Amino acid sequence: MRTISVRNHVTLILSLLLSLAGAAQDTTEFTSKPGRAGRYSLVAYFNAGGSYYSANRGAPAYLQPSLRRVNPLATVRVLWHPDRQLKAGLESGFMTFYSYGLKDSLGKKGRVSLDAVPVLLVWSMSVTDHLNIFAGSGAYFLTTHLDYEGKSKASRLAMGWMAAASYIWPLGKNAGLGTEFKWMYASGTSSGVLALQVQYVWKFAHW
Amino acid sequence: MPYSLTRTTFLALGLLLLGACRRDFDVRLPDNRWEAFEAPGTAPLGASVAARMEGVYTVAAGSDRFGADAVGKWSHTAAGADTVFHFSLFFGKDISYLVLEGRRRDSTLLLHGYWRSMTGIETGAVRLTVTPEAGGRALLLGTAIGAGGLVLEGAYGDGNGTPDRPLRFSFDRPLAASRPLEIVAHRGGGTSADLLPASENSLEILPYAARFGATGVEIDVRLTRDGVPVLYHDATLNERLIVKNGLVGPIENYTFAQLDGLVRLVRGNERIPTLRAALETILTRTPLRFVWLDTKFDAPIDGLRALQAEFQQRAAVLGRPLEIVIGIPDEQVLERFRALPGHRDVPSLVELETADAESVNARIWAPRWTLGLQNDKVAAMQAQGRRAFVWTLDLPENVALFLREGRFDGILSNYPTAVAYAHYIRP
Repeated sequence: MRTISVRNHVTLILSLLLSLAGAAQDTTEFTSKPGRAGRYSLVAYFNAGGSYYSANRGAPAYLQPSLRRVNPLATVRVLWHPDRQLKAGLESGFMTFYSYGLKDSLGKKGRVSLDAVPVLLVWSMSVTDHLNIFAGSGAYFLTTHLDYEGKSKASRLAMGWMAAASYIWPLGKNAGLGTEFKWMYASGTSSGVLALQVQYVWKFAHW
Repeated sequence: MPYSLTRTTFLALGLLLLGACRRDFDVRLPDNRWEAFEAPGTAPLGASVAARMEGVYTVAAGSDRFGADAVGKWSHTAAGADTVFHFSLFFGKDISYLVLEGRRRDSTLLLHGYWRSMTGIETGAVRLTVTPEAGGRALLLGTAIGAGGLVLEGAYGDGNGTPDRPLRFSFDRPLAASRPLEIVAHRGGGTSADLLPASENSLEILPYAARFGATGVEIDVRLTRDGVPVLYHDATLNERLIVKNGLVGPIENYTFAQLDGLVRLVRGNERIPTLRAALETILTRTPLRFVWLDTKFDAPIDGLRALQAEFQQRAAVLGRPLEIVIGIPDEQVLERFRALPGHRDVPSLVELETADAESVNARIWAPRWTLGLQNDKVAAMQAQGRRAFVWTLDLPENVALFLREGRFDGILSNYPTAVAYAHYIRP
């Protein structure tokens, strides 16, 4: 009984999304600029690329670190596009701020990696038809993975923010391919990265 | 209109981010050598000379910086076979103090060190001299010192600059034999945020506590993943306390070997110490007579009890007065404490209700200062043979209030210099 109920709900939601996506076919090529009054849409941004940890601090000299500054970064953002310039939504994903190999004073080796899952409230506006800027604040769920004298894993929550700009080339009425340049920063550990990502944009609902 | 509004919003956000850039402050002890102090022919001062210098002084020159009067106290730090004596002067203005080392050349005393104001980041070098005629000879001969019979004269400077501002202290009276007060330095001597010469809860800060006028210390105890009691205050590793190294999360998630190998404390790259090493330092290197183990973990406290008993015994063998109490800050630790065999005979300090202190036969009841003077409860505890400490008193006006109108036997403070001044200056 419970299974049938859940299946019904999923079917209903999928139907709603498909109908909204179908309605989105009415527009011309994709743009983040607001449409006519009363038109709303939901847009997903799938980002993947690399980040660069720019700070000199984080891997202290006494650990003779070999720092890996460039790490993969993948994020997903869903924004509500109203009939106004300002858009809002949520962003999450997975990232590694930095990692490094280490050697202690006795020559024992190890490895540290500081990873994060950001959950940010994001605001955005279109500067031109294809150029968008984003700013967000929220939480970073930080996790240390340590491999030194045994393995350890520990997490904490830190406040943080992001700022980004992207240029999106339309791929039809409901999709676009873009490049995003952004800065992500977790204040709890003073860790920030510059990121360059390829971006796939999909307007999946429109009413 | 909406378009311009959003642009304004983003502009404001950008300015806010720019304005969020912080300025880092730091205080380092002045690097200022005094050739006369280190010249051949000088010798360290002995304990007897040091004790005779203790007293209340009038600030005859330098009162614009330090105020009208000062309290002088000696302390010592043992380093192997050597003992280094420090003469500290505590002031009522700006929570300022001097910490000086002493040497003698014939009948002249030389005092060299630094000053610091705890309301800011000001510090600098200090050089003082006591000539034979100004009391140096009397000190060395053991003659009684009266008002005006001892004058410390010299100069103080700013930062690493050569001391060039006149400074003169004139002995006024001996310290009053008022009722005893335990002056307990928070986190082993003070917080890292106050930019002290060493990190809070480090081995290196412990010798400073006595120089700051403390008679005891409160230290925070946590357990590593492999059960080693260590000193650390916060619930997680963070940049307030440690050098940034990519490690985050609870200290309980790491083994001691991992913390010892990878973590350094923020003020002086110190290691996170074990409780054993901290008690060893207190016992063998400092004159501190009281230790408050603030239990910051929720696990059996048998290991804590074993270390407490071991170091109490060692102190007794050495004939060294040292009281170590297990702090009970909450109900969970209270239950852990009750699970100890013979817990009513275990020295403890309870931060909860007076009834809780009675129930485990705590030696000390320690309420938060915001609960007020509570003279009735304090008197009730004292009538039962217990003592009452208050935490954490930092503002000089609050310290003065609790000393003037309260009945507490001990004060926990981040600024023991302020408590020492307020306590000893009283007639």
